[in-house]
Parts: sequence; structure tokens; C-alpha cells
Amino acid sequence: MFKKVLIANRGEIAVRIIRACRELGLETVAVFSEADRNALHVRYADEAYLLGPAPSRESYLRADKILDVAKKSGADAIHPGYGFLAEREDFAAKCADLGIAFIGPKPSSIAAMGDKGKARATVIKAGVPVVPGTEDVGNMTNDDLLKIAPKIGFPLLIKATAGGGGKGMREVKSLEEMPTLLESARREAESAFGDGNVYLEKLVEGARHIEFQILADSHGNVIHLGERECSIQRRHQKLLEEAPSPFMDEELREKMGSVAVKSAQAVDYVNAGTIEFLVDKDKNFYFLEMNTRLQVEHPITEMITGVDIVAEQIRIARGRQLSYTQDQITFNGHAIECRVNAEDPFNNFIPSTGRIAHSLLPTGPGVRVDTGVYPGFEITPYYDPMIAKLIVWGETRAQAILRMRRALEEYRIVGVRTNIPFHQTLMDSHRFMGGQFDTRFVEERFSMDTDNASDPNVEIAAILATLVAHQQTERSARIFRPNERDTSNWKWVGRWERMHR
Amino acid sequence: MKYITTVDGKEYQIEVVDEKHVRVGDRLLEVDFESVNGQPVFSVILDGKSYESFISESDEGWQVLMRGKQYQITVEDEREKRLRAAAGGGVAEGGEFNLKAPMPGLVVAIPVAEGQEIKKGQVLIILESMKMQNELKSPKDGIVERIRVKAGESVEQKQALLSVK
Repeated sequence: MFKKVLIANRGEIAVRIIRACRELGLETVAVFSEADRNALHVRYADEAYLLGPAPSRESYLRADKILDVAKKSGADAIHPGYGFLAEREDFAAKCADLGIAFIGPKPSSIAAMGDKGKARATVIKAGVPVVPGTEDVGNMTNDDLLKIAPKIGFPLLIKATAGGGGKGMREVKSLEEMPTLLESARREAESAFGDGNVYLEKLVEGARHIEFQILADSHGNVIHLGERECSIQRRHQKLLEEAPSPFMDEELREKMGSVAVKSAQAVDYVNAGTIEFLVDKDKNFYFLEMNTRLQVEHPITEMITGVDIVAEQIRIARGRQLSYTQDQITFNGHAIECRVNAEDPFNNFIPSTGRIAHSLLPTGPGVRVDTGVYPGFEITPYYDPMIAKLIVWGETRAQAILRMRRALEEYRIVGVRTNIPFHQTLMDSHRFMGGQFDTRFVEERFSMDTDNASDPNVEIAAILATLVAHQQTERSARIFRPNERDTSNWKWVGRWERMHR
Repeated sequence: MKYITTVDGKEYQIEVVDEKHVRVGDRLLEVDFESVNGQPVFSVILDGKSYESFISESDEGWQVLMRGKQYQITVEDEREKRLRAAAGGGVAEGGEFNLKAPMPGLVVAIPVAEGQEIKKGQVLIILESMKMQNELKSPKDGIVERIRVKAGESVEQKQALLSVK
């Protein structure tokens, strides 16, 4: 049974994990880069060690240095959080070699799910539905792909085997345009991943992105904690998640939940994981991938189930049985999470850096904020732009939306631009309120531009701007008011000119 | 002091009468105006109604962020307005545009070349910051004048990248 946990991460998730450790009476070890000396996770942990310079590859991605810190501090467990080293099987394996408990799945499960092709092949064998395509076939030539494409049907997607983040991805509407798109997809994949292999996949239209949280212990118990709706995305980055999904019914949940459990069992999974599905408008669902780690959006599941997922992860890693059976998992109310990013929604979501000058967090009934920043903290360009997660709970979806609106309005951050106005606009959108959206909603049917004609606040804004401009004019006038200097302004100008001659 | 304040083409005549009063058109309003903690956050109570807003100055005037909406606002006094009318406006369209890095980052690609003719909205530079690639676009039609950076180069915030004439 380990007693001291090293958290190999930064930001809000490091703080989240430290909190769970504290509640369980475990000691905590933080690691940090030169840019993060003043970060919250460093201030909250029992011990903290410098890893190296700001860029991730010289700090948070240095597995060797992190393992050295573990040895030096006597940490007997490592929680990787998400991102960085969380899905690196070699890191998990090294921990095992050194006798350090890795709070996550076995290296073999990470490997099995990490390669998309292998993951697909594995779950197909277990009888899990996947999006029709050629991913499990292996490398195919352009000729073969062109031959098989009509059988899959158009529209379809070309995707990179080594892919991620939409790189090397192309949408194909017809056979005629396919050869050129194949070439460009291969080129992009080659330059991004050093691997130009691609596969084809049917494009699921009106697709929703719905994922299932699962928990598995080392005694063979696997349960799911229901779904999360993650269709609100931009450039394949999730912006808002909610649980339960407004699209879900009891029958579908049971069906998808049992498939999620089956997928996890197929790779002999242990610890917390997430199975991502695409669901089409007729409620057909397809396995997309498995994330073998804690998810960013885990708090919404915690809010509606009451399960502390990080505490369960630690319990599982200690070799104990899950605290719950499937029957004991019930869902209460509705939760929404907004990811607050340092980016300007009025300027094409360009990242914003700077020092947080002022921050006022929303609180009150049903509100939770997971963040790693505070006034005075510097947002640097080295890491992810997410600075906080704002999570609300309500008895119903409608109450959760009203509560989220209120909380977003309360949230004040000065010093960097944030996407809070984006979330506010989203909360006011009728399509969002009606639960009518798919993964393309934000990019194709959403706009930050609103109608100023019917807006009663335009005049107020005009008055405010005038007052600020007036104050500024007054101030600058005061600086140059005559006779405030000890000599006349003309004399002063004369001296100044002589000095610059 | 009298001002002409413009929001989206709509003009408001606003007079700052004294510290406690403004006149909008012909309505006199009682105003209590404070900056919060010396920050660019302003709290205003207008005839008993309380508002708060984040206000910053930009190249094009004032940006007022209030209740999840951002307003682009220009404030001119009568003399400034007359001067601009005499100059015929159009300064923004005719002049040279200097593209500056909106944030520190890494230049990933420069899909244009010096001397190239470009259209408004065309991508000039792709800048990577916070793991995201951002397309910096041209606000006007023109010709790429001088490119001051190379792909692969790290840039500071507000560093000059290129100009469009």
C-alpha cells in the first residue's frame, strides 16, 4: 500500500489529484517547470521538485527526471493525470520495473488502445460495433483504397493511421475527388507524424460524440458510470460537456454501457478509462477510441453519480475492490462543464497570454470550479490554454443551464482574454437549449455575432466607453496643465531643445 | 464635455455634465462610476441600475465587454469628429498594415511571399501557441511588403512579422 503519490502533471488536474490524496491522507509530491514555480499545484503539495525549463519536452515529458524525483522523494506511486505521460506505455512499464505503483492501466492495455488500428481490431473481435472502414486492414495502396471506397459509401473520411487532432484528415464526397485528397492527406500525415499511412472511414452524419466512463479493478470487476455528451467541439477540441446526454434514453444507455464494459474487458483493463462513441441520428453507435486515463471532463460524472473518480483510481491502484457494484450506481440530476480557455472568442479564438490581474470565482449552490490559476499567476504560451473548468449541477438540465448562465456571469478574470463570452452565447442559443446539436454545431451553425439592434445594453456600453474616454482625456489634460511645472512650458521646451541639439 | 459615441454605426450624443451626471440625447442620468481595484474593470450605477464591464483600448477605439457581449466603440469629441470629417476618413483602408504577433509563439508557416498580391482575409502567417495553430489573416487587400520572420522562428508578443501595402 503506497503512502506518497507523485503527480506527474501541472495545472488544474494536478490540483485535483492533490485534493483526492489529501482527503485519503496520502502525502503528495509535485513536479514543476521553471515557468510553474508559482503554480498552485506547487503551493498545495507537501513536496515539490524542479524538472527543468518551461517547454514540456524539457520538463513534464522528461520521464527520466520524474522517476529520479520519485526515487529521491520516496514516492511509491505516480498519478500521470491527463496528457503528458498519461498514455505512454513505456512510462507505465518503467514505473512497474522500479516498483512504483502507476495509478492507471497496465502498459499492455495502454499499448492495445493507443494504436487506433489495433484498438479497432481488438474491439471488433469482442463484438463491439465500429464505424465501417479499412482501419483494421492495415496499410493499403491508393488503388486498393479507391476500389474499396464505394463499398464503404460516400461521404467518407480519410484518416491518418498515426493520427490525432484532425491532421491528415480529409472529407471525401465523391470518388472523383478522392485521388487528390488521398495525396494531400498522406503528405500532411507524413509531415506531422512521419508516417503517411491512411485509412478510410465512413462519415457518420449528424454525429454526436458520446463517451462512457468505466472503472475496473484488479479483481475482474468492471462497471460504467454512465455517459458524457461531448459534441460541443471546435477543431476537435471539446469545449463543453454534459451528463447525462440529452439524446440518451435508458435502453440505449444500458446497451452502450454494456458495450463499453465489454471493450474494457477486451484489453483486460484496470483503473479508470473512457470509451468514446459516435452516435448517429438514428441512435446507431460506433466505437471510436478508448482513452486510457482520467478525462478532463470527469467532474460532471462525479456530480451526477457522487463517485470520486480520482479516489477510486487510487483505491484500484492499491489493489482493492471497487467501492461500488453496477447496481449501486445511480444518476441524480444534470451536470454541465464549461472549459474556460485563455483565448479570445471575438478574435478567431486566438490564445491569450499574460498575468491574471484579477479573478473572482463563481460560487454558490451547485457550482464547482477546478482551476490551477489565481490572481498574479502568469499564463505562458508553453502549455494548454485551459485555465479552469466551471462545473454546475442542477436537478434538471434546464436548471443546470440557468445555473451555468449565472455562474458564467459571476466569473471575472482580468489580465487574459477568456472564452467565457463564448459559453454565455452558447447558453443563450436555442439549439443548445433544445439539445439539438452534433459535433459540427460550433463550427457550422454557431456565431458570436449577435444582433445589436434589439440589445438594450448597447446604450449602456456607449455611456461606459464615453466615461472611460472622458476620464482618460481629463487625466492627460491635467498632466500638461500650465504652471504646474516650476518653470514655464516655453522655457522648458527651450531647454529640452538645447539638450537634444 | 460633449462626445459623439458610435457603436456599430449608430451614434449617441453623450455629454459628461459633471462627476455625477451624464446627458444622453436629452435625458439627464445620474451616474456613479468607479474602477474596481484600479483594474480596467468598471462598475457603474446609472439611475440605480448596476452594471459592470471590462473596458480596454484597441487600435480601433474602445472594446467594452459586458454580460458576455463585446462592443466595439469609438468615442470622439466634436472637434475630433470635425477633423476626421475634414480628413475624409479612410485612413484605415489606405495605409500600410503591419502584422504583429498577437501572442508569443512559433512561426509554423508563411504561406505568402514578398511582393505577392493578396486578398482581405487571406492567411499570412500560421503561428503556433499553446499547442494550437492560429491563422493570422490580412485585414485588407494589398501586396506583401516585407517578411521579417522565417518559418521555425520563435517570436515575442507584438513583434513585427510582415507588412501589407
